[in-house]
Amino acid sequence: MRAVADREGVRDTGMEAVELDRRLAATWSTPPGLWGALSTVDHKIIGRRYIVTAFVFLALGGVLALLMRLQLAQPEARFVGPDRYNQIFTMHGSNMMFLFAVPVMQAMAIYLVPLMVGTRNIAFPRLNAFSYWMYLAGGLLLWIAFAVDTGPDVGWFAYVPLSGPQYAAGKRADIWAQMITFTEVSALAIAVEIVVTVFKQRAPGMSLDRIPLFVWSMLVTSFLVILAMPAIMIASTSLILDRLVGTHFFNPAEGGDVLLWQHLFWFFGHPEVYIIFLPAVGMVSSIVATFTQRPVFGYLAMVMALIATGVLAFGLWVHHMFVAGLPRLGESFFTASSMAIAVPAGLQIFCWLATIWAGRPIFKTPFLFVIGFIVVFVIGGLTGVMVASVPFDTQVHDTYFVVAHFHYVLVGGAVFPLLGAVYYWFPKLTGRMMSETLGRWSFGLIFSGFNLTFFPMHILGLQGMPRRIYTYQPEMPWSGLNMFISLSGIVLAAGFLLFFIDAIRSARSGPVAPANPWGASTLEWATSSPPPSYNFARLPVIERLEPLSDRSDPLGIVEGLYTDRRELLITGVVEARAQARESSVGSSIWPLLAALATSAMLIWSIFTPWAVVWGSIPIAVALIGWFWPKGDPEDET
Amino acid sequence: MIDSRNPNWAFVAAAFLLIGVGAWLGWFRQARELRVDPPVAADLDQFRLMPNAISGTPPESYFAQGKLYETDAYNLSQGKRLYAWFGCSTCHGDGRGGVGPSFLDGWWLYGPEVVSIVASIRDGRPHGMPAFHDRMTIEQIWQLAGYVQTIGSYTPKTAAPSRNDDKQTRPAENRGPAKILFDEGPVGVHPDQGPSP
Repeated sequence: MRAVADREGVRDTGMEAVELDRRLAATWSTPPGLWGALSTVDHKIIGRRYIVTAFVFLALGGVLALLMRLQLAQPEARFVGPDRYNQIFTMHGSNMMFLFAVPVMQAMAIYLVPLMVGTRNIAFPRLNAFSYWMYLAGGLLLWIAFAVDTGPDVGWFAYVPLSGPQYAAGKRADIWAQMITFTEVSALAIAVEIVVTVFKQRAPGMSLDRIPLFVWSMLVTSFLVILAMPAIMIASTSLILDRLVGTHFFNPAEGGDVLLWQHLFWFFGHPEVYIIFLPAVGMVSSIVATFTQRPVFGYLAMVMALIATGVLAFGLWVHHMFVAGLPRLGESFFTASSMAIAVPAGLQIFCWLATIWAGRPIFKTPFLFVIGFIVVFVIGGLTGVMVASVPFDTQVHDTYFVVAHFHYVLVGGAVFPLLGAVYYWFPKLTGRMMSETLGRWSFGLIFSGFNLTFFPMHILGLQGMPRRIYTYQPEMPWSGLNMFISLSGIVLAAGFLLFFIDAIRSARSGPVAPANPWGASTLEWATSSPPPSYNFARLPVIERLEPLSDRSDPLGIVEGLYTDRRELLITGVVEARAQARESSVGSSIWPLLAALATSAMLIWSIFTPWAVVWGSIPIAVALIGWFWPKGDPEDET
Repeated sequence: MIDSRNPNWAFVAAAFLLIGVGAWLGWFRQARELRVDPPVAADLDQFRLMPNAISGTPPESYFAQGKLYETDAYNLSQGKRLYAWFGCSTCHGDGRGGVGPSFLDGWWLYGPEVVSIVASIRDGRPHGMPAFHDRMTIEQIWQLAGYVQTIGSYTPKTAAPSRNDDKQTRPAENRGPAKILFDEGPVGVHPDQGPSP
């Protein structure tokens, strides 16, 4: 009891604002220098790091796309040989799906979700740091392997038997499979953090019906990750076992099953599409609400549509396997369920249109990207309904029609909202504004470049041009359109280049942003741009869905927290009533060491199964160091 | 997000450095060649054997390429495919022999050097081994010879092929070294060079 009485002076009750900031900064800030950077657990630093890394991978994947377009621009071109071309299209797909699209969406959540729910750090901050290092190691593994001419060459889906022990010589397919393990470990870690942060760390009063739509979308996405990713980890681990130690999971001669791979892969692979799309939906809702100056129409319908999409996402995977020779009844069922998912997606589109209709839209760059999203995504959705029908899919399967379809859905459905989100949240990420002029140019180039590049691919597909071919003969009627597509690709690349130039320039010398430059109404705009290490000097109390919408009614605040330890508030799942004060862990180097030990084991295990035995010893040491009780006040609750 | 004082820049620079070093290393690495240059292929025929047709010297170009038919995963797996396509298993089984000698009994009738194996396949040997020089290209013969050497290799090869999608009759080549699988057969250790080579 004496200890408690001694610490009365360090509670924030009635403390002067300057003194409070000084004390909180001393407790929460990351020490400067390399050691601080390697051991930080601040969700904002890790989130920024994640986003920058993911955009670096986007740029690298874009370069690969340009190389493919260079090769395909004319028939019988000799820029890239068949072996290198196989590596390039595999790298492009794997990189964009596993190293860019999913991580960048989760990275935005790492940065924004704790701010939007009004807490001081993400749940399990050290796991968060570990997740980033695992992600980085997986990305480096894939790209260094590609640089030394051992890049995977089996397609981003790595179907057996092509990727199996008999037909994929060398370590190329193993590199792919182990990269999957790295990225899925990191994605699962973030998903668990997001779920716990959203369920237990919301600001008091933020009941379920007051959660911002972006947070809802990240919550549903995280559940999708938790349910979908284990399937692909089992599949890729089985593949490595088949290849290295001669198990027979995918060997029909010994009772294995080749189709098992496709089922496991697409049971993950189709929800993956929604893991990428749902965060984008949340971003669109945030941007639409701010730039139409009114709440999104149909909050309940939007949340229900998110959840319905999440549930339906697990009932569609067989539509990727329509030509694999499955029973007709199954194909009909999956046609119906594939078409059914257009219902929640359409519902959301109509809710946004209603919001724009009823609001007073301001056409700034983030909103332009949302408009682009609606146009492109609806086209992609329509071709999606087309390929959901078995007879049509049988005709266009493995042609450029499918390439066009999924680029419309993924780029339209995720990259457009993401670029809008970067323009929208850039002041919160960096404290500076991006250029409106360059933003409009970049939007114009990307939107027109994208449509000119990918729309003709529908026609090429209907003319019969197959996917994944490194060249084609001059007699084929495809050369004109291919040259046109390659030239349009340059326009698209120029748009992205402009975006990167704008982002780098603005981060260094853009105009300084106020706390809430757009007049938005969600909680992340209540703190400064960029936020201090402790996010909020005093944790807010929430009384309505849009806490910043009414200027005359300031935010309520929580008092009585200690300032000499990293303290945050645990609240109930439904009503978000305050339940407990909880300490949040401080900086630690152990997540980095644990990630290094895990990486060494995973990469070593491509070469010998004994790596799992000997490699687990350093991991155990790192985990013991990680969880060693410190006897610090942070261990009290 | 991007600040010159920020250590994040150091990470990005370090990552690019790693990839750059990888690319530099990759430049020196043997590329996977799906079609060998005709002069190089012609040179593969120019190895020299000892007068008794056991052991010898491979062509210089073979060393310049880093002995790729013995160490390169792609060529070894092509060799494994050729082993099936050209019916090697009708006499040699899955490597443990049958009508022909075993590759797993720890005994090479003409020595374990790859040139001896190439010569055996190209020119044939007494007691029933046919010559394949008019059925396979010399490049294919080298690929097959590298694979046959891998079956009975004394030391493990990282690049050794894995199992086929077939019935399993013995552990795959990459579970080696084959020494642990050596099966001397009913005659025991060969006291001489077997049935007079």
